[in-house]
Amino acid sequence: MSRIELVNLRKEYGSVVAVNDMNLTIDDGEFIVFVGPSGCGKTTTLRMIAGFEDPTNGEIRIDGDLVNEKEPRDRDLGMVFQSHALFPHKTVADNIAFGLRMKKVPADEQARKVKEVSELVRITHLLGKMPAQCSGGESQRIALARTLVTEPSNFLLDEPLSSLDAKLRRELRAECDRLHDELQKTFIYVTHDQEEAMTLADRIVVMNQGNIVQMGSPLEIYGDPVSYFVADFFGNPAMNLVEGEFVQSGSGLEFKSPQFDIPLPAKYSATAPGKGTLGIRPENVRIGSDGGGASIIRNVDLVEPLGKDTLLYFETGADRPFVAVVEGTQAVNRHEQVQVGFPDEAIFLFAANGDRIR
Amino acid sequence: MTAEATLNGSPAKGGGASRREATRTQGIKRFKWTVLTPLLIMMAFILLPAFFLQGYFSFFAFSIFDAGDNPGFSSYFEASTWVGIDLWKDALNDEKFGFAIIRSLLFSAGVTVGCFILGFALALLMYRPFRLQGFYYIFFILPMLTVPIVIAYTGEMILYQNGPLNDIIGIFTGTTNESSFLYNQEVALTTIGFMEIWNWTPFSFIIMMAGLASLPKEPIEAAQILGANRFRIFWEVQVPLLRPVILLALILRFLESMGEFPKTWGLLQGGPGSATETVPIYIFLNAWQFFDISYGAVLSYLVLFMMIFIVMSAIWLLRREKKSLDAMYEARPQEG
Amino acid sequence: MAMTKSQRRHVDTVVRYIFLTIWLSIVVFPIFWMVSTSFKPDREWFAWPPVYISEDPTIQNYLVVWADVSEYTDQVHTQSLQRPWEALGNSTLISFLATTLSVLFGSVLAYGVSRYQILSEARMFQLLMLRMVPPIVLIAPISIWYGALGLLDTVLGLVMLYFLTTLPYAVWMSKSFIDEVPREMEQAAEILGASRWRTIWEVVLPLVRSGLVATFLFILILTWSEYLLALLLSKTEVITLPIELSKYQGSTEGRVYGRQAALSVGITLPLIAVGLIIRKHLARGFSFGMVRR
Repeated sequence: MSRIELVNLRKEYGSVVAVNDMNLTIDDGEFIVFVGPSGCGKTTTLRMIAGFEDPTNGEIRIDGDLVNEKEPRDRDLGMVFQSHALFPHKTVADNIAFGLRMKKVPADEQARKVKEVSELVRITHLLGKMPAQCSGGESQRIALARTLVTEPSNFLLDEPLSSLDAKLRRELRAECDRLHDELQKTFIYVTHDQEEAMTLADRIVVMNQGNIVQMGSPLEIYGDPVSYFVADFFGNPAMNLVEGEFVQSGSGLEFKSPQFDIPLPAKYSATAPGKGTLGIRPENVRIGSDGGGASIIRNVDLVEPLGKDTLLYFETGADRPFVAVVEGTQAVNRHEQVQVGFPDEAIFLFAANGDRIR
Repeated sequence: MTAEATLNGSPAKGGGASRREATRTQGIKRFKWTVLTPLLIMMAFILLPAFFLQGYFSFFAFSIFDAGDNPGFSSYFEASTWVGIDLWKDALNDEKFGFAIIRSLLFSAGVTVGCFILGFALALLMYRPFRLQGFYYIFFILPMLTVPIVIAYTGEMILYQNGPLNDIIGIFTGTTNESSFLYNQEVALTTIGFMEIWNWTPFSFIIMMAGLASLPKEPIEAAQILGANRFRIFWEVQVPLLRPVILLALILRFLESMGEFPKTWGLLQGGPGSATETVPIYIFLNAWQFFDISYGAVLSYLVLFMMIFIVMSAIWLLRREKKSLDAMYEARPQEG
Repeated sequence: MAMTKSQRRHVDTVVRYIFLTIWLSIVVFPIFWMVSTSFKPDREWFAWPPVYISEDPTIQNYLVVWADVSEYTDQVHTQSLQRPWEALGNSTLISFLATTLSVLFGSVLAYGVSRYQILSEARMFQLLMLRMVPPIVLIAPISIWYGALGLLDTVLGLVMLYFLTTLPYAVWMSKSFIDEVPREMEQAAEILGASRWRTIWEVVLPLVRSGLVATFLFILILTWSEYLLALLLSKTEVITLPIELSKYQGSTEGRVYGRQAALSVGITLPLIAVGLIIRKHLARGFSFGMVRR
């Protein structure tokens, strides 16, 4: 049982607040992902948990024990670094055995454990090599093995895949997932890649400017973003966000923008008028006349077939393109006029300050 | 859980140092003193008393005749008499000392420029990989690996009137050449200077090689694409980026040659006449040949002040360059 | 006249080799002359025209200087004061001891400066002064003080001074390497349970090994060839090789070029051997952190 609690955790660098009074409980065995743009405080938080940074204020508890005062090595943690941080002057086997040696594990047990763990991450064939002879993906596996072998209760992973190419990243992502399933240990994973967060996490912690913006399962974050920031951050292609104004029209509310005007669903009739943003995920944009909700007629500006799906870009006059995803290789041509529909349940509204309007 | 339990109730407040920070600060402090203590002890043990003695003798004139045959430590004090600032006045009016300083400054300046130009030129010819790079590199560092006093004596074998240098010059000019390079007042110091340049060009060469090799390639390639020729690239890209290294190579070399002793002393002992009486030689002559420790002490102090002034100016220049270099590279904000 | 790229490259190569070869001959000639003279019999030492390569090479000079072979010792040009092997032993002991201490101590200090700023930047520059002020300005009082302490003519006395005067280079050079070791490397070691000294010893120092080797050689050069301090502080008992060599110059028996050359070769060879062994480490390490990589 290992539970990590962050209580009013705060970190200031001079006048800059890197982490702002953060409260979070991470359950045993949870795979939690801190995600956000660079500078949002996610790495600082991780490094405070590890003990490389001291909090300006607040508590870090592991299993109920306050660990603020403990050295990193006494916190029962393992950490994988962005740069892998393998010791280039030691063989792979010696790298993996390093932690065991520091803990004065007997030599024969060291050898046994190194063998075990290298089988687990499938690097047995690399044990005799030097880190420089290993590829990026292999290095990352070795770094994982070096951390796994000391059997910590919690794993901290600081953007471990960001130095790898896309294919390897997918492969090792799956590997992380598998390891987590097998070990049932707590994983705290930091990334700026929303896709990594979506695929790996039991729970995502979205951070921005030192604050937790939203916390929840990947589907909650995706389907029910609490703000413009979260809505914009998750999803690829990103959510269509059109700036405009909510205007009272008759009994209902209407969205007016330089690009288009549409009536809003009835549930927003009580919303106060004013400036705001309308959002709709590209895959929810309906092309064609069937179905309910508001719709407009638009020129297709660009057709981008991706194989399984096709992306349609529409002329909007704004900086941000308006995109729709349609299944298959639908026969829509450039400059063709199509009907673009906004199903009621797919519409998100955000107030001028970025908050979600429900 | 005792100490932690009390802390449980009241989390550390408002930016104060945590206990771990305190213990780590203490650990670092202990580390610092562990590392510094031997150095400080040695300085206090050797340098401090030396400074004190130096100061003492600069106001108390020591006489070798009063000291007798077997000067123990106390006899140095018994044989010294208070003379106030007489010796300082003498030193400031000492024409020979003035000339020694001028000689040293000229010598060092010449050697520094010579080493630097040669070293930089060689580095420019060598820094890009080519087939025999390793071969030349090994040979080019050889002079630095040769002991100065060996250079002095070997130099004498080559330079004396019936030596190979005159022979080679004779072969090229078709005349019989019997120049004296060492025992001629007009050229002696220059000759020593050339030996010093031969000896220490590798130092400048290695520094400039390291500097050139570590310059980022992109700005140079970008300049090439933009149509700059080699000289423009050299003056507008390489030299500005290398400024701190260049300054370092110049300063280190200048200060090291100010102290040059083995070649000058080993070969000429300040002669012929006083042609090679540089500052170290002049002090050496006074303190060790004439046993005038007190006058040597005064001269030493004056030189020390001069050197400290030079070193401080050099340091000021170096720090300024290093700062501007750091600023150039660290302008990008940190990620977190 | 316009040249094609390959023509220009060709011209470049030729020009480069011409200049490099000129300098090469300037570098090599004195060393060649020293070696060549060491094998000359005495009648060739002062011959005119000079003898470049002996027609009658002999190892007599080496035998007299290094082996003190009796059949030659009664000849002229022989020194009675020679103790070359003792001097070699002293030189080896003193310079390796001082250099090792200086590099070990200097690199740990440099680590402290790099990671914990235990010396401020201003102090770091002040440290350079230990080296940059010529030792001649303090040698007289040091000699008196050493006399009082009984450190004159001792190995320890010289080692301490060599340590002090070379430490600035050791700190500056090794710091420029240590600065480049990524912090994550140390943090990885730390979280795996290594203590500070352990991290320095097992992670940091091995990572800067080639830099330390270059530093070691450079300082070895300085201590091995040091002349002034050795001359004044240990002229009778603990004689080092440079002092041993300088005895020949002071002798009244005239110039003995062959003998000097034979001794010079012996003094120079060890350094060149060490230099060749570690030459591949040398290219780095002399920028003193004045270049950003």
